Amino acid sequence: MTENRRERVRMSVLKHAPIAAAAVALGFLSAPAGAQTTYNFASMADFTGPYADVMKDLLGSRRPAIEWWNAEVGQKLGIKITFKDYDHRYDAAQVASLWPGIKAELNPVAVLGLGGPDVAALQGRLPGDKVPMFMATAGYGFAWKPDPWIFNQRPTYSHEAVAFFNWLREKRGGSGPLKVAIISSEASPAYIDQQKGIEKYAKDNPDKLEVVESVFTEVQPTDLTTQINRVVRKGAEVISIQTNTAAVVAAKRALQALGKNVPILMSSHNGVLDSARAIGDIKQMEGDYEVYAMAVPTDEKTPARAFFDMLAAKHGMKAQWTVTAVQGLGQTVVALRAIEATAKRVGADKITGEAIRETVLTTPITADQMFSILPGLKFTKDAPFPVSGLTVSIGTIKDGKYAAAAQGVPVPTLNKW
Amino acid sequence: MIDFLNYLINGALVGLLYALVAMGFIVIYRASKVFNFAQGELVVFGGFIVWWMVLAMGMPLAVGLPLAFVAAAVFGLLIERIFFSRLVGESVFAMVMVTIGLLILIRGLVLVLFGAQVRPFPIIFPLKPVIFGDILIPRSLLFGAILTIIVGLGLSWFFNRTRPGLRMTAVAEDHQVAMSLGISVKRSIAFAWILGALLSTLGAIIYLSGKSLSFLASDIGLAALPVALLAGFESIAGVLLAGLIVGIIQGLVTAYVDPAVGGAVGTVFPFVIMLFILFVRPTGMFGWKTIERV
Repeated sequence: MTENRRERVRMSVLKHAPIAAAAVALGFLSAPAGAQTTYNFASMADFTGPYADVMKDLLGSRRPAIEWWNAEVGQKLGIKITFKDYDHRYDAAQVASLWPGIKAELNPVAVLGLGGPDVAALQGRLPGDKVPMFMATAGYGFAWKPDPWIFNQRPTYSHEAVAFFNWLREKRGGSGPLKVAIISSEASPAYIDQQKGIEKYAKDNPDKLEVVESVFTEVQPTDLTTQINRVVRKGAEVISIQTNTAAVVAAKRALQALGKNVPILMSSHNGVLDSARAIGDIKQMEGDYEVYAMAVPTDEKTPARAFFDMLAAKHGMKAQWTVTAVQGLGQTVVALRAIEATAKRVGADKITGEAIRETVLTTPITADQMFSILPGLKFTKDAPFPVSGLTVSIGTIKDGKYAAAAQGVPVPTLNKW
Repeated sequence: MIDFLNYLINGALVGLLYALVAMGFIVIYRASKVFNFAQGELVVFGGFIVWWMVLAMGMPLAVGLPLAFVAAAVFGLLIERIFFSRLVGESVFAMVMVTIGLLILIRGLVLVLFGAQVRPFPIIFPLKPVIFGDILIPRSLLFGAILTIIVGLGLSWFFNRTRPGLRMTAVAEDHQVAMSLGISVKRSIAFAWILGALLSTLGAIIYLSGKSLSFLASDIGLAALPVALLAGFESIAGVLLAGLIVGIIQGLVTAYVDPAVGGAVGTVFPFVIMLFILFVRPTGMFGWKTIERV
């Protein structure tokens, strides 16, 4: 090679070097993005139905949890989760109508379900479509079937209630069964299911629990004075209302009218704070209880609260620290941990709904992985919810303030009903 | 026996509340032959107006309640002016479809104006029940029943004995004929919607006193439907009797049959009775018999 030719090559290299460097740099920078696989969640919502009032907290907690996971976990795995909300107005027919469109538009690998209508409409379709659904609610007896595609991180409402009754009976002392009255409603199969589960436990354990009466009302009861008077006369020591806040308010007014003070047990969707808002004063719920297999959102410095505060500080969490926010966080974190474990099992670019389900059924999720929002979960093919090792938390109003009455209360064995 | 009497009385009082809501169906039907699917939503809207005046704005009951009735009347008038004044002479089917649209519209309007939260409803009637020995009578339902009977008899007199009432009856018969007789169909329909909105607000006050307010309250429209159908859509006095029948049957079935069979009968049974009576007497117990000559 002559000197001139060498010089021409040198000049050419120098001339193209910045472009080559830029291309190489761009290549390096874009490499992770190119390797990242995006998966979609369908996020079920109720903006215009009976639970529209709690959507701000439920959906408000889903978004920052996904954003946090994408930044902290997904990026390292080469996965990005996106999601889209679908308003089904808490109507099973609407869910059934939306589902084909959701599949076509989003091709989701998982669904973040909302409640009974999702289960009723999709439990027959999800196995065929091979998409698992993660619920925020407790489970249902009518959906207690093997080989689940729907996963409740909590046991049934009846499981949660009887865990509370056992706790209250121990707190009360004495040997007789705890006398319970149930306010139920024919408006939803879930409400009847809750009642039947409690009655089943009472029948199997007459030494622990006695159901003095199950009262059926409308979802917005007209007046419950007559009914409450009857159950109080029958010696009810606690009134179980796992339906809605309207029934709690009507029962509370009836108790006030009669001058009686019998505690009311509520659940996560109609808890003491929601019912206090509906009746207009937190002090009126003094001594009442709520029970669920999740963390109680008190002001105590718990890992769940620290996680929530971190999401608020770094990921724009707009939800309030409420039971509904805990529900939303719990279901989203479970779904995200399932994706994470599936990616490690089959590879980040090979995740499918079926693979996620397999992972959920074979890989326990520890409480630490869920920031103690939920107790450790071990799903099996026997039921849509973990059938062993579950505990519940009990919230109450004490001295006018929201507080945890008990945590880690074991869930007893409850036979199918 | 005492329980039976308690449930009987409670059922009768609840039935009269249903009758009050059913009157809303009837006054609108009598003026326009339109079955208003949005009657339950009018109850919800009336309830939210009361909540807004009394609790959100902090007005005393003596001021807030009359203002709420005025606002409800204006709302009823607006509904007629915006939707139904343009439909005079159109088919009944078109008007019924508009009431379905109205149902959706009112739901959206309430969400936009008042939000989705469950609201506490003010305590209008004292909580303490009236007690006779072992018999308890909820005060809100007792006062509600008295008001319902007064309003029912008053409206019955108005529709059957006064000129404006008879004009509205003529409008219900046929818009064209009423117009040819010099009767203002628009004014009659507007008045019916105002009355419907006022009755719904009164129903909301009795129904929700001291309780909570959300969209669930619109279910009372559905509960009042068998009462209106059982009475026949024209008779206001008849609706009181129909209300008592439906309320007592529902109350007793819910108290004694539901626990035995695990629920679901109490809600359905009034509709079964209604269907049976309509099967025997298609115009309802007190509905007008229409004779058409070709």
